[in-house]
Amino acid sequence: MGVLDVRELTKHFGALTAVEMVSFSLEEGEILGMIGPNGAGKTTIFNMMIGVYPVTSGKVIFGGRDITGMKPHRICRLGLTKTSQIMEPFPAMTVFENVLVAALHGGQMNMADSRKKTEEVIDFVGLSAESEMPAAAVSVPSRRRLELARVLASGAKVLLLDENMAGLNPHEIDEALDLLRKIRASGKSLIVVEHIMRAVMGISDRIIVLNYGAKIAEGSPEEVANNDEVIEAYLGKRAVSL
Amino acid sequence: MTRESRKRLFWVCFVCSLVVVGLIPVFTQSEYLLRLASLVILWIGMAGCWNITSGYTGYIDFGPVVYFGIGSYATAIAMAKYGSPFFPAVALSGIVAAVISAPIGLTTLRLRGAYFAIATFAFAETMRQVALEFDRTLGVSFFEGSHGITLPMPDHENTFFFYCIFVVTVAVVLVHYSIEHSKFGFGLKAIHEAEDAAEIAGVNTTGIKLRAYVTSAFFLGMLGGIEAYWITYITPADVFSVHRTVQMVIMTLLGGMGTFLGPVVGASFLTIVSEILGTTFVEYYLIMVGAIIICIILIMPKGIIGTIKDWKGLRFI
Amino acid sequence: MDTIFLQAVINGLLLGGVYAAYSAGFSLIFGVMGVVNLAHGELIMLGAFTSYWMFQIWHMDPYLTAPFSAAFLFVFGYFIQRYIINRVIELPHIMSYILTFGIHLIVANVAVKLWTHDFRTITTSYSGANAALMGLNIPYARLATFFLALFVIALLWFFLARTETGRAIRATAMDKEVARLMGVDIRKIYAITFGLGAGVTGLAGAAISPFVIIFPEMGLEYTIVAFCVVVLGGMGYMPGALWGGFILGVAQSMAATYLSAGISVATTFLILFFMLVFRPTGIVGKGSVA
Repeated sequence: MGVLDVRELTKHFGALTAVEMVSFSLEEGEILGMIGPNGAGKTTIFNMMIGVYPVTSGKVIFGGRDITGMKPHRICRLGLTKTSQIMEPFPAMTVFENVLVAALHGGQMNMADSRKKTEEVIDFVGLSAESEMPAAAVSVPSRRRLELARVLASGAKVLLLDENMAGLNPHEIDEALDLLRKIRASGKSLIVVEHIMRAVMGISDRIIVLNYGAKIAEGSPEEVANNDEVIEAYLGKRAVSL
Repeated sequence: MTRESRKRLFWVCFVCSLVVVGLIPVFTQSEYLLRLASLVILWIGMAGCWNITSGYTGYIDFGPVVYFGIGSYATAIAMAKYGSPFFPAVALSGIVAAVISAPIGLTTLRLRGAYFAIATFAFAETMRQVALEFDRTLGVSFFEGSHGITLPMPDHENTFFFYCIFVVTVAVVLVHYSIEHSKFGFGLKAIHEAEDAAEIAGVNTTGIKLRAYVTSAFFLGMLGGIEAYWITYITPADVFSVHRTVQMVIMTLLGGMGTFLGPVVGASFLTIVSEILGTTFVEYYLIMVGAIIICIILIMPKGIIGTIKDWKGLRFI
Repeated sequence: MDTIFLQAVINGLLLGGVYAAYSAGFSLIFGVMGVVNLAHGELIMLGAFTSYWMFQIWHMDPYLTAPFSAAFLFVFGYFIQRYIINRVIELPHIMSYILTFGIHLIVANVAVKLWTHDFRTITTSYSGANAALMGLNIPYARLATFFLALFVIALLWFFLARTETGRAIRATAMDKEVARLMGVDIRKIYAITFGLGAGVTGLAGAAISPFVIIFPEMGLEYTIVAFCVVVLGGMGYMPGALWGGFILGVAQSMAATYLSAGISVATTFLILFFMLVFRPTGIVGKGSVA
């Protein structure tokens, strides 16, 4: 059993089944890639894992503890949180204050320790130069880093990254990948949802593939890339027969 | 300026202004000036209470007056019907207001935007109606309906009330200071900026909002209690008046929502202007207040302090 | 069922029709622009005064003055939106609440200057006349207003559903950015919407003028009732005003009949409060949330 276990997670929105019986687990220090076409249910799974959406059925076990149905802030304090696909900084607050909020509340530290932690994290993700700027004023790559910084400052042991590289150019993606490796090296585990195949294939130890809310494949990047069902999900039936 | 020196500068300014304001009763013989000064700090306290909940979180409370009214009635009933002394009655006012605010906050703070505003407004109006109709409906003698309650005549001078209000208002201002520099305050501001993101980042959004709401209610209750004894006669129409809510909102907005000095500046300005306009232009007073409101919104929607902050890039105030 | 109960229900329904008539405009304005118009009651007051003066000066029947009230308030509303509220429409909604409160203060108090605090009524030949039916009393004027309310809401619904401008208004309400891209002049649509809301409200003001007390400060109370009605029916959902009006009307009438007249207002707010907390999308669940 890994640090995080997702068991038969299911989500219905009315008559629509967004996620159906998805199970997977995450090992300590692992980077797990999660891919799938738009609408495959990746973001929904994240939102159920961190308590934003109530689950229809299934369980999320984190660090040996059943966290299903807990509120997001409690789950965050236990060490599991996500970065948002649509970036949601606190726009009028400075980058420093953005991260500070996570350190104070997510990390449950006092003011002095939080400030220290915030400085460390901002330095770690390479945002020191923009530390005093309002979050609304920094560039997209910096805002992506800010999301990471907030998650790190909250003391997360497992990071869920929802398309954290969207909108970055190839050079910036390389930098982002370096940063993710650095984060993993510091002892964290990650689940990465990403559309940029080069990025997700390059960094993941293992990949799971979702389509229409169900898991259709799981394995190493090479295995997944050669899986017929996966190719079909991405490219349609004819591509396979060609 | 470093954080430490800014902090020191703040405390110097703060203590100086406290001393200056606190000495007003010593230097003036004029009962009129003393009354005006008391009124100004009463409104600073009330606007400040509104600012704690609504200014910092962006949850627009349209019924804060309800806790002022509850406080007034708690003191009035305790003193007039049970012969309680003044100070315990005021403490009771704060506690009663806070206790009532907890379940109300827990239910209404789940609502957002206009819904929260209307729900709080509805609650305030309900309480006004309850105070008006309770006795007649149940055939008892408790709230005294529209007759109102007359409190025992205070054997204190206006100076006494000045200091009572002063102490509570200073406490409200200190809460503002702590909001600007504490975990609680950063939580409130994060909720204002992006509530869902705040929750994900570990902020107990429900808990923090509720704490702000109950804190406001507590101080508003005490201010209500003090005012009841000060003017010695209360009616539901007066202590639950929508216009008190509107004053709190407008003062804070005028000064700058979610800023430390906003309520202080807004309340001082509007109370003094009202006093001048109200005595010289009695007939046109409300029309002018309406015009002032529209001008503020159109010209500087961030309020006086917010505008200065933007202009100077000051983050200190 | 006994007569008292039936009479209470009928009174409630008639009252509800009146409520619906003057709340539909409030719902439209909120639904399209997110503006909680705190000067709503003043629009009713102006509509009622238009009828009052036309009745006083030209002896026109209040129901015949309704189109004039509507036209006058359409223009009034159009300009208020165009030159004042449009300027804050992109800011947080709180600004519009407070701005409209400022308008409320000015309009009400200018009216006090012009027309004093006096209470006025319009006395027509049919004032106080009732249709007596199986021991039940149905005042003619309220009945007429009731049908006028249904007619107005149907007309408004038809306008929104079937006309070009109506479509533009609905598109703007759904997604103003997309509407803008499609070539809709948002600011003009907002002005028309507010004008329309105000016009309908003015018409309602004229329609209630035969049986209410008309005075410059009457507005706030009506604003509050419109709030309740619209929340009960579902904010921004037009036929909801009808549902909300009926529910509130019947509830108040029941409370007044079986409890006491004073407590009926408290009942209103209690219903409103619990409605907001437990079912903010309104009684039929079609209103917008947040």
